[in-house]
Amino acid sequence: MVLAVTGPASRWRRALLAWRRSPVSFRAGAALLLVHAIVAATGPFWAPYGLSQMGTGAPLAGMSWSHPFGVDQLGRDIFSRVVHGGHIVLLLSLSGTFLGLVVGAVIGLLSGYVRGWIDEALQRVLEALISIPFLVLALIAIAAAGPELSGNPLLVILVVALVYAPRIARIARAAALDIVTRDFVTVARLRGESAWSVMRRELLPNASGVLLVEFALRAGYAPVLIGSLGFLGFGMRPPTPEWGLMISENRALIIVSPITVLGPGLTLASLVVGLNLFTEGLARILGRTVRRADK
Amino acid sequence: MIVLRLLVGRVLLSLVTLLLVSLLIFLILEVLPGDVASRILGRDATPEVLATLRAQLQLDDPAAVRYLRWLAGVLQGDFGKALTSSRPIGQILGPRIFNTILLSAYAFLIYIPLALVPALIQAVNRDRPIDHALSTVTLVLLSVPDFLLATLLMIGFVVMIPVLPAISLVDDTSTVWQYVRAMTLPAVTLAIVMAVYAVRMLRDNLIEVLDSEYVRMAELKGLSPRLVLLRHALPNALVPTLNVTALNLAYLIGGVVIVEKVFSYPGFGSLLVDSLQLRDLPVIEATVMIAASVYIGANLLADIGAILLNPRLRSG
Repeated sequence: MVLAVTGPASRWRRALLAWRRSPVSFRAGAALLLVHAIVAATGPFWAPYGLSQMGTGAPLAGMSWSHPFGVDQLGRDIFSRVVHGGHIVLLLSLSGTFLGLVVGAVIGLLSGYVRGWIDEALQRVLEALISIPFLVLALIAIAAAGPELSGNPLLVILVVALVYAPRIARIARAAALDIVTRDFVTVARLRGESAWSVMRRELLPNASGVLLVEFALRAGYAPVLIGSLGFLGFGMRPPTPEWGLMISENRALIIVSPITVLGPGLTLASLVVGLNLFTEGLARILGRTVRRADK
Repeated sequence: MIVLRLLVGRVLLSLVTLLLVSLLIFLILEVLPGDVASRILGRDATPEVLATLRAQLQLDDPAAVRYLRWLAGVLQGDFGKALTSSRPIGQILGPRIFNTILLSAYAFLIYIPLALVPALIQAVNRDRPIDHALSTVTLVLLSVPDFLLATLLMIGFVVMIPVLPAISLVDDTSTVWQYVRAMTLPAVTLAIVMAVYAVRMLRDNLIEVLDSEYVRMAELKGLSPRLVLLRHALPNALVPTLNVTALNLAYLIGGVVIVEKVFSYPGFGSLLVDSLQLRDLPVIEATVMIAASVYIGANLLADIGAILLNPRLRSG
């Protein structure tokens, strides 16, 4: 590779070259995600029917050209609902994971830098939060929020962040423990920089690879977590076209029309496959391994 | 000595975590709107009746006192009484936990061959089409949420080939055969979710071990490929997989929440969801405590296993 080339035109060439060299899994994942992103962004404009429009066809009609995913009990077109739900699932997943990443990274990096009893105490609390199975933690947090907030998208985002932040903090702390031994951190400290600024300017840039992979990995699981909550009746409320919730709504009638469950189900799975492929490719590009220890 | 010190340290740490979990659960549930008395009596209760019940349930004590009283009860195995049925929680939990242990044991039984066989096939046929095909299958399965997998299996074995029941209700009058039929789909769901992770890990470990000098040596000695694989490679590749299996046990405690609910199986997980829906505080506290204990216990086992199996610590 010619390294001497610079300028805006070559940046595109370099990006193209990096893309061509990237693992197939990364490209396949990125392509799938792109499709999901486009559908999420534009779907509400071209979906054949409205998201709660009833009487679009015979209730529980199976697969057909006009209703690829069939029609539910209320006569709503499932395909249109899945398309309308795309941006909800994506926005909730990404913003919840991002909030968890920010909170987790700040706690983990600071804790690993400051050390001492603060670090020790934080570690114990995070460990305790991680010890509650994540779905159980999410469920009791939602129960604690009370019935007024149930079905509120903000609550779902906060719960995703609450579940992820301790897990991300643990990874960020481990990264920080490694970075603080380097000379540039010592130099920054001797310059008299505050812990916050050392974290932001020295630790964060050096931990960004680890955190990026961690973000992608968690984001890949977020649609499942949100879907699980919706499925159990603790997440989004009807008539929101959240895919997990749709699966649970149509599940009682799978004997009559399995496609009403398969449609949203396989859409959800394809999003998660895309995110997983993307994460594995990303990890390989960055030379890291994906830790799937805690699901 | 080093090993012993490590082990004791690890156990103590787990106990501290467990204590913190109990405190966290108490704090999270403390913020639940409305106290227990108003939830039992509903909105129409007169203030006098509410005050009497509060006094009865000792709700007027400070939170710290109530926490310590609850903790003392838990340590003696007394979780209090359920709000909805006012039965002792121990009595409610007993059969539910029994059912979940049965289900988990069944799931583990299916899990072992489900993890071993594909990994062995992949490792032996490395980079051949079958290896890639199985890798793709496990990656896709990795991405299928457990509630979707359960629903797909239901479509397959209840709707298309009607051999198994859609609803896995069992009680103490059920026969063994009814139990087996009821538990099959939930157990298969759990086993698949657990096996997917193990297959991916075991395949990589096996390939690594098959490349090692001692396996080459065994091959050069003229041992049959099967013997080399099963006697020499597999046991060594299994060690890291044991760790995954312990973590799978930890997954199981969250997994049963979904899977039992999907199949209406009367176990511990569905009890947790039901108690959350009914806002039955003492039952929620008890079930979450137990879930966290199992999780911590499973992780402790994984760590102890890792310490004991680490040859660098053995001489100490």
